[in-house]
Amino acid sequence: MTTEQPPAEGRIAEAGRLGDGADPGVWEVFRQEKDGDPMRHAGNVRAPDRELALSYARELYSRRQESVRLWVVPRTEISDLTDPDLLQPPLDRSFKKPGGYVMRDKLEVAKNKAKERAAETTNE
Amino acid sequence: MTTEARLPTRQLIQPDVPQFDRRTLKPEARDALTGLLLTMADDEFVIGFRDSEWTGIAPMLEEDVAFSSIAQDEIGHARVWYEMLAQLTGDGADRLAFHRQPSEYRHARLIDQERQGWGYTITRRWLYDTADSVRLAALAESSFEPLAEVVAKVRREERYHLMHLDKWLERLATRPGTPRGKVLSALKQLAPVALSVFTPLPGEERLVEAGIIAAPMSELADRWLATVNPRLTELRLRCVPEGRPPADGRDHAVPSDAFTALWTDFTSVARLEEGVEW
Amino acid sequence: MTDPISLEPILSPEERPTPTFADPGLTHEQRYDAFVEHVHAGLKVEARDWMPDEYRTSVLRFVEMHANSELMGVLPEREWIMRAPTLKRKLALTAKVQDECGHAQLLYRVAEDLGKPREQMYQDLLDGKTKYHNVFHYPTKSWGDVGIIAWLVDAAAIVAQQALRESSYGPYSRTMKKICWEESVHIMHGRDVVVTMMNGSQMQRDMVQEALDRWWGPLMQMHGPRTDPAKDRDLFWRIKEKTGEQLRQEFLSTYVPRLWEIGLSPPDPELRLDEAAGEWRYTEPDWQELRTVVTGHGPMSQERLDFRRLNHDQTAWVRDMILTASSAAA
Repeated sequence: MTTEQPPAEGRIAEAGRLGDGADPGVWEVFRQEKDGDPMRHAGNVRAPDRELALSYARELYSRRQESVRLWVVPRTEISDLTDPDLLQPPLDRSFKKPGGYVMRDKLEVAKNKAKERAAETTNE
Repeated sequence: MTTEARLPTRQLIQPDVPQFDRRTLKPEARDALTGLLLTMADDEFVIGFRDSEWTGIAPMLEEDVAFSSIAQDEIGHARVWYEMLAQLTGDGADRLAFHRQPSEYRHARLIDQERQGWGYTITRRWLYDTADSVRLAALAESSFEPLAEVVAKVRREERYHLMHLDKWLERLATRPGTPRGKVLSALKQLAPVALSVFTPLPGEERLVEAGIIAAPMSELADRWLATVNPRLTELRLRCVPEGRPPADGRDHAVPSDAFTALWTDFTSVARLEEGVEW
Repeated sequence: MTDPISLEPILSPEERPTPTFADPGLTHEQRYDAFVEHVHAGLKVEARDWMPDEYRTSVLRFVEMHANSELMGVLPEREWIMRAPTLKRKLALTAKVQDECGHAQLLYRVAEDLGKPREQMYQDLLDGKTKYHNVFHYPTKSWGDVGIIAWLVDAAAIVAQQALRESSYGPYSRTMKKICWEESVHIMHGRDVVVTMMNGSQMQRDMVQEALDRWWGPLMQMHGPRTDPAKDRDLFWRIKEKTGEQLRQEFLSTYVPRLWEIGLSPPDPELRLDEAAGEWRYTEPDWQELRTVVTGHGPMSQERLDFRRLNHDQTAWVRDMILTASSAAA
């Protein structure tokens, strides 16, 4: 194979799908590293039922006592949202973030004006 | 070379077995306790061995990892019992585990044979672990505190084994055809040796007298039958026949071929040279 | 009161770009080019992303071989679990082999989500259609091998695995981080076994050196022959980040001094560090041997596959039972 390979077809792999039509034998595992931490996705296991799923999650994701809590969720129960129009809509939303309020220049001006006014008052 | 260790790199290894003075025990009780601990250590050692054989070749990868943990727990339990013995007898734990002749081992006949297939393994482990659980319960309130302390820790680990194995037994027993058939045939094979875990021990009356163990082995056998047979009935499986535990249930004066082969293997490196460290 | 500016910043769209290649409105060519740009920028691909077929098949092949290697890697070591000479060593070795199984599980799951069922991967492995790493085709002869394998083979593997933590394929990259974290203890264990023996009797020292003599060749072959980076598709797709030669050099730099310092000598009279070039020199490994071995003609290749096949067949009834239970529960 060389870098001159013409682009072949492309697709989305269905095997890893979430939600409806997902593989019912796969359970997603979430773990908590230590007290106060959020649950984080860690991976997944194959199991025929919830009990074994928890058992296997313990083995694969806490064999070295590295987790204080584990959740397992059947893959069929997970809904996936990646639509950029919903998650990263294009129009300006800077009013929602602290970084959307750039005050430095205004503040400089306000401070200087306040100094001037204070100076005027003393002069009177 | 960086590693992403989240654990502290140097962990203090706490001894599992508290230090004790063997002279706090009367000599007869001490001898009887040594006998009891040896049976427990050898039981855990042998079953741990057999089950660790599934590591890498269990029916499913996920189950492989789970079952291997159970085997490691058993070896870990064997280790604590050997370490207690080491304090009672002055012999080292590894010495006891690896440097006896096959005829000197005192494990129950129930676990003497090879691991065979998955059905036999699960059935045998279930029988053994339920029996061990009755034995441990009888030691939980032991007047000999170091023992009670260690038993408490061991029982907490065993709880997970029991849950896991019972689930597997149920899974197999309730599936008609091959799975159920394997369990039935294993029970048939194991019935004659099922009670061997409760083989009476020399001097066990001393242990009962001293409050080290709650009851003699024959009574523990009855307690065990009272817990397992209802469960077996519930799963519509053959019950363990009532009876007296065999007097020679831990006697390996003529060791089986299976155990001799196991012993030859597990001592092969240890016997290469006396007195070296591995 | 906390100054709001100092709170965790919300990234602007420029700092967290949406993959362009995900846009179904683009032509295939545009998507392909956007995808290449994406991975060349060091960004990740996830299981449910659109990807060029060549990328998907390349990742799958790479991960599958890795998974196979973990699975087959179990076999040389598990017989020594039975023979471990102390309780501590038995526990450590069982835990190590358990880890290899755990790693196989993680990797097969990654491959499954790319579209190949686990059972089919097992069949292809057993039928010789897919490969596993060379080192697992060789026999083990003594406890010395246990130390050498756990220390050096795992070290050589970790050198490769650490580089893979930055793989463009997200699930693989995350799995590699977990695997690297878990593997670190294996090397400690292996080195402990070797050092203990080197501190022991003459018989023990001879045993270790003899094992090293046998394993050095396969170890040097492990990272593969020097390749032209420009022609390496796995590098192009950023599935892997380093060439085989880079990995071999890293391995030699770290581990040869550690062998020498305890009195062990790799059986290569040419082995030395060329200070001026900053590179290790060595006798050219036998690439013919490597080719022969990975195509299933190594000393233990068939025996180990046969053993796996036997166990697989004997436990098929359990998997069948579990499989029908899963579908019933769905």
